[in-house]
Amino acid sequence: MDDQDRRAPRLRIDPSVCDGVGVCAHLAASLISIDIWGYPILAAAPLDRRTLPAARAAVRACPHRALFLD
Amino acid sequence: MNARLRLVGTADVPETEALPGALLPGPVHYLGESSGALTELEPESLSAHRRRVGERPSCTGPAGSALLEALDEAALTGRGGGHFPTARKLQAARAAGATVVVANGAEGEPLSRKDAALLELRPHLVLDGLACVAEFVGARSAVVWLHESAHPARAAVARALAERQGHEKEPALRIALGPDHYLTGESSAVLRGVSGGPALPVFRRAPGTSGLVHNVETLARTGLLVRGVAAADTVLVSASHERAIVVLEVPDQCGLADAATAATGSAPVQALLVGGFGGSWVPWTQARHLPLAESSLRAHGLSLGAGVLHALPAGSCGLARAASIAATLSAASARQCGPCLHGLAAIASSMSALVRGGRRHRGEVARLEAFVATVRGRGACNHPDGAARMVASALRVFEEDVSAHLRGRCLHATAGRRRG
Repeated sequence: MDDQDRRAPRLRIDPSVCDGVGVCAHLAASLISIDIWGYPILAAAPLDRRTLPAARAAVRACPHRALFLD
Repeated sequence: MNARLRLVGTADVPETEALPGALLPGPVHYLGESSGALTELEPESLSAHRRRVGERPSCTGPAGSALLEALDEAALTGRGGGHFPTARKLQAARAAGATVVVANGAEGEPLSRKDAALLELRPHLVLDGLACVAEFVGARSAVVWLHESAHPARAAVARALAERQGHEKEPALRIALGPDHYLTGESSAVLRGVSGGPALPVFRRAPGTSGLVHNVETLARTGLLVRGVAAADTVLVSASHERAIVVLEVPDQCGLADAATAATGSAPVQALLVGGFGGSWVPWTQARHLPLAESSLRAHGLSLGAGVLHALPAGSCGLARAASIAATLSAASARQCGPCLHGLAAIASSMSALVRGGRRHRGEVARLEAFVATVRGRGACNHPDGAARMVASALRVFEEDVSAHLRGRCLHATAGRRRG
């Protein structure tokens, strides 16, 4: 993990815990889309000041704690 | 998952016993998916093993640095398919205070038998490697992890462990068994299994684990390297054709096709599946010019994986073969991750629709390509990535078969007939 990664948090997901509930995609629509089976696809880009609040909200809302910031 | 072992005539393939760093006494032949006891070859006894390669040096404390140097110098990489530098993995495990080390012999790949061959013929070499690694890391527990149906390997290892009782000064080694699933040998599943949990892959939120998993072949090579025997210039390959699988040890300078020919003989071959069920199809015309060594193969976007080469006979339909493999991979999903569970099922059903063929499935290729893109990188383990890789390569290599099927015919009359 280089310095760049350390500074900018990213959204990550544990796919084995995710149940495809989908609240995350509502709360962070610019960062998370939903695939045809209902599971979230995360934007690869690191988060910034503009996107971080929505990412945090999505993480907090995940009922399975599958979503996290790294 | 374990097959009957038969040593057939070895005259047609160069004798490897003469090489000082040879792992196996010669090519080892298996047949299909049948299970059965070792028939003609005996596991090497402890005394024969010691006469052949000498005593195992200790790797405890400062003595461990010699092991690290030997692995580093030989540039040994993991032979379970990951090809990660073994020395670096060992250092990281020691730094993390790993408490368990595992010899992973749960060979999930249906076309791989190299680990079975090593465990059945050279159990002491594998156990030596395991003991060295356990000493180096300072692990409390050292385990040989096998599929529960791997009876010949289990018998050979059990006998070898009994022979070592009281004769070898080493950490306690034991056997642990996992279910006969494709993913039982996935490294995070192995650690979960040996610690008493279900043998299913685990998603890691952060790097670092409590255990160290090494492939059986990696450990066998470690067992030779620690004695100063050069053991990294050969490749163990499971080459298969029709239902026959031959495990052979070849110099890493040899070509992909040379190794495959050991299984196919003079039979005409259409394509090679390189790297196993999660690998890539390569047309035979191209495979004939490709190297076998992993570092060179990677430059071509390929990997030997766990050393698996599978030949598709000239008269077979590659699309149908790829579809049946896709179905196997879908069924082998650990069913933990949505994209893998649903995505591999969608891929398998789409492949099967293509095989049935006919104009009404014209949109299937585009659907498949979308599914493949959607499942990549979205599992806790890389099972979906392998399935995606295999299917994507099949669509490229068997493009003419796909077109023919969509027109309602198969190019290989004996393997498939007009449908839909």
